[in-house]
Amino acid sequence: MSAVFVRSIGIVSGAGTGVERLCSALADPAWQPRIGLDRPDAPPLAVVTCHDFSAKDHLPPLVARRLDRPARLLAVAAREALAGGGTLPSDRDRIGVTAGTWTAGTEALFEVLRVVFLASPDEAPPMQFPSTVANAPASQLALLEKLGGPNVTFAEKQVGGLRAISEAARLLTHGRADAVLAAGVDEAQWLNAEGFERLGSLRRAGSPGMVMGEGAGVLLLGIEGGPNPYARILGAGSSSAVAPPHLYPGTGGALLRACRQALESAAMKADEIDLVVSCSNGIPALARIERDVWQELFRAGRPAAVAVTERLGDGAFGGAARAVIAALLVSGRASLAWGVPEHLADLASPLPTSAPRSALVVGQAGGGSAIALVLTAP
Amino acid sequence: MDDVWITGIGLLTALGPDRETTWRRLTAGETGIRPITLFDTTGFRTTLAAQVDVASLPDPQPGLLPRHSTRATHFALLAAREAIDDAGLRASGELPWGLVFGGGTAGLFEAEDFVARRLRHGPRARGLGTFLEVPQDAPADRVAAAFSLIGPRLTVTTACSSSTIAVGRAAEMVREGEVDVALAGGSDALCRLTFAGFNSLRAVDSEPCKPFDRRRKGLSLGEGAAVLVLERADRARARGARAYAAVRGYGVTNDAFHMTQPEPTGAAWERTVRAALADGGVTPEAIDYINAHGTATEQTDPAECAAYARVFGARLAQMPVSTVKGALGHCLCGAGGIEAAITALAISRQTAPPTVGFAEADPACPIDPVAARGRQVRIRTALSCSFAFGGNSAAIALEAVR
Repeated sequence: MSAVFVRSIGIVSGAGTGVERLCSALADPAWQPRIGLDRPDAPPLAVVTCHDFSAKDHLPPLVARRLDRPARLLAVAAREALAGGGTLPSDRDRIGVTAGTWTAGTEALFEVLRVVFLASPDEAPPMQFPSTVANAPASQLALLEKLGGPNVTFAEKQVGGLRAISEAARLLTHGRADAVLAAGVDEAQWLNAEGFERLGSLRRAGSPGMVMGEGAGVLLLGIEGGPNPYARILGAGSSSAVAPPHLYPGTGGALLRACRQALESAAMKADEIDLVVSCSNGIPALARIERDVWQELFRAGRPAAVAVTERLGDGAFGGAARAVIAALLVSGRASLAWGVPEHLADLASPLPTSAPRSALVVGQAGGGSAIALVLTAP
Repeated sequence: MDDVWITGIGLLTALGPDRETTWRRLTAGETGIRPITLFDTTGFRTTLAAQVDVASLPDPQPGLLPRHSTRATHFALLAAREAIDDAGLRASGELPWGLVFGGGTAGLFEAEDFVARRLRHGPRARGLGTFLEVPQDAPADRVAAAFSLIGPRLTVTTACSSSTIAVGRAAEMVREGEVDVALAGGSDALCRLTFAGFNSLRAVDSEPCKPFDRRRKGLSLGEGAAVLVLERADRARARGARAYAAVRGYGVTNDAFHMTQPEPTGAAWERTVRAALADGGVTPEAIDYINAHGTATEQTDPAECAAYARVFGARLAQMPVSTVKGALGHCLCGAGGIEAAITALAISRQTAPPTVGFAEADPACPIDPVAARGRQVRIRTALSCSFAFGGNSAAIALEAVR
């Protein structure tokens, strides 16, 4: 794969709005997110929310008012990325958007159904219906920023954000766009999270599990690096395994294939990877998969490993956030004071004191899709 | 350049449970739009949709349907089964095939009952199992599981253009040697959410829709699935497979105009069409047929025709341009796959399918909509176009295999 540059980044996460807030959280060993999403008639759920996010601080009030929450999250993160990306192509039809989402549209969907079931079908709110489609945040972003390039949203549960990034790189290398905003975006919605809680997938007191995450992570990608690039995306790999939609596969075969493809397309060997950004999310089955893959891929090699998803929350956003953090780390613009994954503690090297030159960012979704990206210093 | 062939087609629509039934009834000018029995339509502007008769559908193969199977998954599995069989491929053992699907409402119809119970009865409401199939990629996961597909698996969700993009992207995957074979398409099922939503937008016709007709008042919703088997041409030739058509290229753009309204001059969709032509190295003069989006809404049909006029000029008036939505309804995220399948059939059978429901020409839609019945025409290269909510537009160029 031809390399593409990460020209800039933007993020809204449980750490706050903006890259600076994220970097502060990464550097603080004591930082913990606020976990807890309220729902009717039952205790809060294990979801990291962007509790202090206010779109009005970043978008004109009239714009903020017409967007639903995931579209606001994405718009604010994208504006940060666009502001830091240097001069963009003057032809806005050559700027694309790719997004991955797990949960966007759920709140709008719930609201429409609530009216249909509790009031009357003919009272369904027309203003909310367009927000029920998962592509609404990416489409709203195109509208807001007048971006007429390719605009594609992917739904692949936890790997949607990484898919958006690898597909953005593909759009660029195929000449379909000159710059692409690649994003993962999720909203915190109680009904959605409650489903996973009842499945036993969500963390509860005394039992391990996933913490879902709310937020938007955006990477502005280009064939050109711009004035101050963060990283290069050198390789991407994608594979899958057979599993029901809500379960992880029984083995790490898909993730291993994805990692090997990513390394091959980057023309790199496993021992050239300095850092693995783990997709560990608190679910033991996923930790087992990652451990198996690590042993097969690196054998005696010992890159460092970080796990940020257990604190920032999992989802399509979680994958994009891992890529944002990888870009920050390989560019030397952030350091991480926490996040050594327990399940890899005996296999990985300690976190490097200097910036890693290369990072392997991995993702494994329930249902079987797996993706890996190789990022290097610019 | 005919390097990616469509060697198998599976199709399931309101007109029939398989490819041949759908094609036969479509080209005969029949419609599958009829009163909905799936849910109560009291209070809605319309009581009609192109609903699939699930009771008549077979199990794709014994044991293939999962316990919590949904309509969307059932449709997808049947279409995939038919496509693989049609291509003459043996699906046994783990297969490194790609799978690119357009993801829509997935298991939402089934989960809506759970949502209603949760609203009324609180957190102990029964029916959680239906919730597992709600993610848009659940049908793709189930197809992959049923046929042991372990290649790249993507679910595109761009509303009504989802599975057009899926077919284009899958063809790219095959063309570049990422995989030898890819399944591409989409599946979508009727549900209360979309029905209520389009009703609330006043975008539905109380009668069966009438695309490109001056009396048109809106769309009719539908459901169904299509799966196309895409193969590298050299591989397909070597095993003696026949091709319906070759995939030349695809284009994807965003209108950046409005979430639900079309850009009225056609300039935005002109870009989409030109992007598909450029990707496939096809000139406008080579296009003999367009399978149009043709939703039959007041504003969309003229905007679409305006886009074609900008690309094809005076030729447009003589070019057959038809839409299947008067027969199959608007199948939303499944529509693009269904329409790509119909376009491939149109090429291989040199027959333009009709615009069912069209009777009275509209000066704002200066096209030849192929009224009443299918028509024998020469089709070397054809376009299938989809224009979606959010301005997510896509077009795909297919070509006859020489």
